[in-house]
Formats: sequence, structure tokens, C-alpha cells
Amino acid sequence: MTSYNLAAAGGGGGNFLVPNATFFAELLIFLIVLGVIWRYVVPPVKRSMGERQEMIRQQIQESQQASKRLAEAEARYSAALAEARVEAAKIRETARADAQEIKDEMRQQAEQEVARIRERGDEQLATQREQVVRELRSELGKLAVTLAGRIVGESVADDARRAGTVDRFLDELQGMAAPESVPEQAKADGSVPVPNGRRKR
Amino acid sequence: MREYLLAAGGDVQVGEHLKWQVLGLAINADTVLSTAIAAVIVLGFGLYLAAKSKAKVPSGLQLAFESVTDQVERQVESNMGIRTAPFVVPLAISLFFFILIANWLSLVPHAFEHYVAPPTADVNLTFALSFFVIILVHVTGIRVNGKHYFRHFIEPYPVLLPLLVIEELVKPITLALRLFGNILAGTVMVGVLSLIPALASWLPISAWKLFDLFIGALQALIFALLTILYFGFATGSQDAEAAH
Repeated sequence: MTSYNLAAAGGGGGNFLVPNATFFAELLIFLIVLGVIWRYVVPPVKRSMGERQEMIRQQIQESQQASKRLAEAEARYSAALAEARVEAAKIRETARADAQEIKDEMRQQAEQEVARIRERGDEQLATQREQVVRELRSELGKLAVTLAGRIVGESVADDARRAGTVDRFLDELQGMAAPESVPEQAKADGSVPVPNGRRKR
Repeated sequence: MREYLLAAGGDVQVGEHLKWQVLGLAINADTVLSTAIAAVIVLGFGLYLAAKSKAKVPSGLQLAFESVTDQVERQVESNMGIRTAPFVVPLAISLFFFILIANWLSLVPHAFEHYVAPPTADVNLTFALSFFVIILVHVTGIRVNGKHYFRHFIEPYPVLLPLLVIEELVKPITLALRLFGNILAGTVMVGVLSLIPALASWLPISAWKLFDLFIGALQALIFALLTILYFGFATGSQDAEAAH
């Protein structure tokens, strides 16, 4: 059913494997294509591709710089944070020490104050007591003598005797109430019993 | 006008072309026409790219083109160094797209194939491309390496001179016939399949045309790649010289 007549093509001028004048037409067409591409297409395309690559390179560079700056800023931030923490700890420590110091000082002052006040109070008390004793000595003596004179009707004009009686009386009083008034005691004539502790002073 | 009858009773003819007589020379009119169509498409695409190249945000077409360009540049860089012959990059890209479009003209419906057949199914186009490329390769080799360029015919042994000469002579022929054969086979196959009654033939023909799409891209890629390799061989002997 099939008859191949290809072999017949060998003769004559028409083997399809052999180029004919079309060759030049084809070459011309391709050269035109190549020329137009070379002249009008390659330069702008090359330029724009170069520009775009440059742009991308620049963007990559910028982003790298940005991330570097970010890292730097983060480092600075954490350094500052650590420093601030140290500073805060120091301040807290100082404040605590100061507070302790102030507290101690104030306590000391208060104690001194208390001691001073107590001392003054004691002094005042002693002074008042002495005054009272002195007053009593003069007043009470007179009153007692008057009273005794009235009661017994005896004249006690003799001053010396009177003073001796009063003093003795007061010493007894004093011996019961306050052991402090040593000088008074020394003046006494010794007829009144005196506690041992006083002698030692 | 000759007919090569492949199937009796059918009308599958190989190497049959409409002819123009120009100055007494026969010119295959259909090949010239379809080559011109492919050229217009390629140039339209190229000029569109050039016009669009100012846009900041590239379109999908530009990105596809740029990925091809990147690939080609990498090939050229690894084979010969892009500085040696910078024109090889646009040449290879132009060849790739031109052959690609020419091959894909086989997608035109079968009814029109007498007017628009893939021009690469005609040896005239493939020989034109391959001779142009090979002559340019030799010219570039001589310009880059001077008289040292001819040394590669006697290296590593002078005895190999005849073989190396034959190799150089065969290069343009294989380059042309590889492309031609693949694309022609596709058209012949479609022609044979179209002998099947139309009700049943649409499926195998569609399948085969999809396959042609793949073959067309592959052959365009091979042609461009071999072009780069040949340029690499021709200019690379300088490096071998320097290495000695």
C-alpha cells in the first residue's frame, strides 16, 4: 500500500536536504531580526535589568544596614538596662544605709534626750525636795514648838534648846523618808539611829 | 515542483514547497512567509520588552525573559567568561526565541499548513542559522586567540588533523539537520495522522501537537546551548594556552 519515492529525489535539482536560494532569504530575515534586536532591544533591556539589579542590591544593603543598626540599638538598650539596674541597686543600697544611719542617729539623739530629760527631772526633783525640806524645817519646827508649847504650856523661849529638839525631830523624819540628805545627817548629833549605807558614802 | 510520495492514496508530501522564481532562482515561498511571520512575532516581543523595560515592577513576560537571560548568561559565563565575547548572550537569546517561535508555528491548525508551516522544517532556514553561527564562531575564535586559534586543529596530536577538520566541517551540518529533522518529523507525523478520518484524528493530532510544543522548545534550547558551547570551544583555547 505504501510506495516510498524518496530515492527518486536523488536525481534532479530538488533534494529537500539540499538548500536552495531560499537559504539567502532566510539568512537575510534572520540578520534583520538580529540587527533590530541588537540595535533596539538589547540596550534598553540591558539597562533596565542592570538598574533593577542595582536597586535590589541597594535594597539588600539597606536592609542589612537596618538590621545592623537594630542589633546595635538592642545592644545599647540592654547595656543601658543593666547599667540602670546596677545603678538602682546601688541607690537602694545607699538609701538603706542612709536610713539605717539616720535611724541610729535619731535613736541615739532620742536616748540622749531622754537621758538628759531624766537627769534634769532628777535634779529638779532633788532641788524641790531640798527646798521643801528646808521650808519644812523652818515652818514645821515653829509649828511643832508652838503646838507643843500650847499643849504642855511650857515656855520654850530658849532658842538653842528649841533648835536642838526640832533638829532631832526632823532627823527622825528624814531617817524614815529620804536617805539622801547626808549633810543634814552629819550635822545631827547622833542620838538618832542611822542606817549603815549612809556611813559608807 | 516535485512530490515525494510517502503514502499512496494520501497526500503526505515531504519537502514540497510553493516556489517563487526570483532572478531565475527558486525560492520556497511558504518558508519565507512563515519565517517572516516568526520574525515579526519575535521582533514584536522584543520591542514590547524594550518598551516595557522602563517599568519599575516587571511584568510576567519580562520575568520569564529575564530568567532565560540569566540562564544564558550563566552558561556563557561558565563556558567562556562573559567578557570574552559579550555579544554571545544576546545572540543565543535571539536564536532561542527565534527558533522557538518558528518551531511553534507548527501549532497552526493543519488546514493552513500549506501556508504557515514551521520554517525550521526547511533546511534553508536551519542551514542559514547554523552557517551564520559557525562562521561567527570561527571569526570570534581567530579574533580572540589570533593565530593560536588554528593550533587546536593539531592538538593534542597532529595526526588527528583530518578528524578535527572533519569535526569542524560537520558542526554546522549537524547543528542544522538536528533541528530540521526534529521539526520536519513533527510535521510529517501530523500529516500522517491527518490521514485518519477527521472524527478520530483530532485526538492523536492534538496530542502530537502538544508533543511538538515540547520538542520545539527543546530543539530551540539545544541550538542555543550548542551555539554557546561552540563559542566556548573556540575562545577557550586561550585559557588552555595560559594554563600551559
